[in-house]
Amino acid sequence: MAAPFQLNIITPERTFFSGETTQLTVRTAAGDIGILAHHTSLVAALPAGPMKVRMENGEFRAAAVSGGLLKVGGNKATILATAVEWADEIDVEHAKRSAEDARQRLAAKESKDSMDRAEAKLKRALNRINVSSMK
Amino acid sequence: MASGNMKVIKRRIKSVESTMQITKAMELVASSKLRKAKEKADNSRPYFKALYDTMCEIQSENEGFLSPFTKRSKNGKTLLIVIAGDRGLAGGFNANIFKLAQQRIDELGGKDNVEILAVGKKSVEYYEKRQFTIEGKFPGVAEGLTIYQADKLCECVIEPFLKGRIKSAELFYTEYVSPITQTARAMKILPVETEKPAEGKRALPIYEPSPAAVFNSIVPKYLTGVIFCAVLDSFASEQASRRSAMENASDNASEMIADLSLMYNRARQASITQEITEIVGGASAD
Repeated sequence: MAAPFQLNIITPERTFFSGETTQLTVRTAAGDIGILAHHTSLVAALPAGPMKVRMENGEFRAAAVSGGLLKVGGNKATILATAVEWADEIDVEHAKRSAEDARQRLAAKESKDSMDRAEAKLKRALNRINVSSMK
Repeated sequence: MASGNMKVIKRRIKSVESTMQITKAMELVASSKLRKAKEKADNSRPYFKALYDTMCEIQSENEGFLSPFTKRSKNGKTLLIVIAGDRGLAGGFNANIFKLAQQRIDELGGKDNVEILAVGKKSVEYYEKRQFTIEGKFPGVAEGLTIYQADKLCECVIEPFLKGRIKSAELFYTEYVSPITQTARAMKILPVETEKPAEGKRALPIYEPSPAAVFNSIVPKYLTGVIFCAVLDSFASEQASRRSAMENASDNASEMIADLSLMYNRARQASITQEITEIVGGASAD
């Protein structure tokens, strides 16, 4: 059994997860990284992407992260994210609708600003759809 | 004559009673909204505290580090984000925040040197009437504020700053201290100022992709958070302020009813006495 470490996942609305885990996989700007206990200090920006946490029963539980920050240090990992959902809690219909909406706005090609925002929205929606199939 | 007087008093009692019902109801609504707003504000605090700490760490660990968010310039206007309520009848809540903002505007040399980002219907109305330059209007967002709305608000602050249209941004909000105390406050949010973390030396973390990139990605989130918290705090203060204003109004109303009932009873007694005198007078005349 691998050594455990403390994991906190915090969003603006609530503390999403707080507990011990033995392994965490998360997507950073530079690619997927795995965190085990006693990882060196690390601070990384997170784009919208999947995340996996090994739960007490040894199985991985997947979640969708909508952009944020990962902080590791002192045998503790903290994820600060705008929004996080477990794979089985994702509203796929809603994600599909917002992906569609974002695509339409991208196709409209209004201003650079609205295109950027639509692109970010599309990425978040696609990430949710993607993660929801990972349960 | 006495019975006419009685009728007038009776009518006044009725009218005060119905006003009291309204103030009572508003008091109850405000206290339940206050509870919800307070909870939401408390839940959001750990997230932004952690972001702020990280930001301070990055800055103190990397000296001589430059970011577009920390640059200071001398030219340009100051953006004031003034968060007020959407409704009146909340005691001095709206007036206090406008007074504080006005002090700062005078310090900065009048309304030509400032731009306003008005949050809350009352704030929009106030600055429109006085013909200020308004950078953005956000009426009716405080109740049920989402992080995405706060994000949009925050963009209205960051964009002109990065483009150099404004040199700094200040936030005016009402801090919720306790159910009976709310204080209007001002806070400088741009350029970003950080404090040194208190603890001693630690192992230098690895930044992925780089300290500057992480810092720059945190700042907008942090600012969104500050604004989010400030709006929620102001909303909680508004409700608390309305609750105590309405409590006072209800108390005054019940006092008035007591006074009026006394007057009514006196008038009734007087009319009875008069009637008896008349009857006695009539009987002795026979």
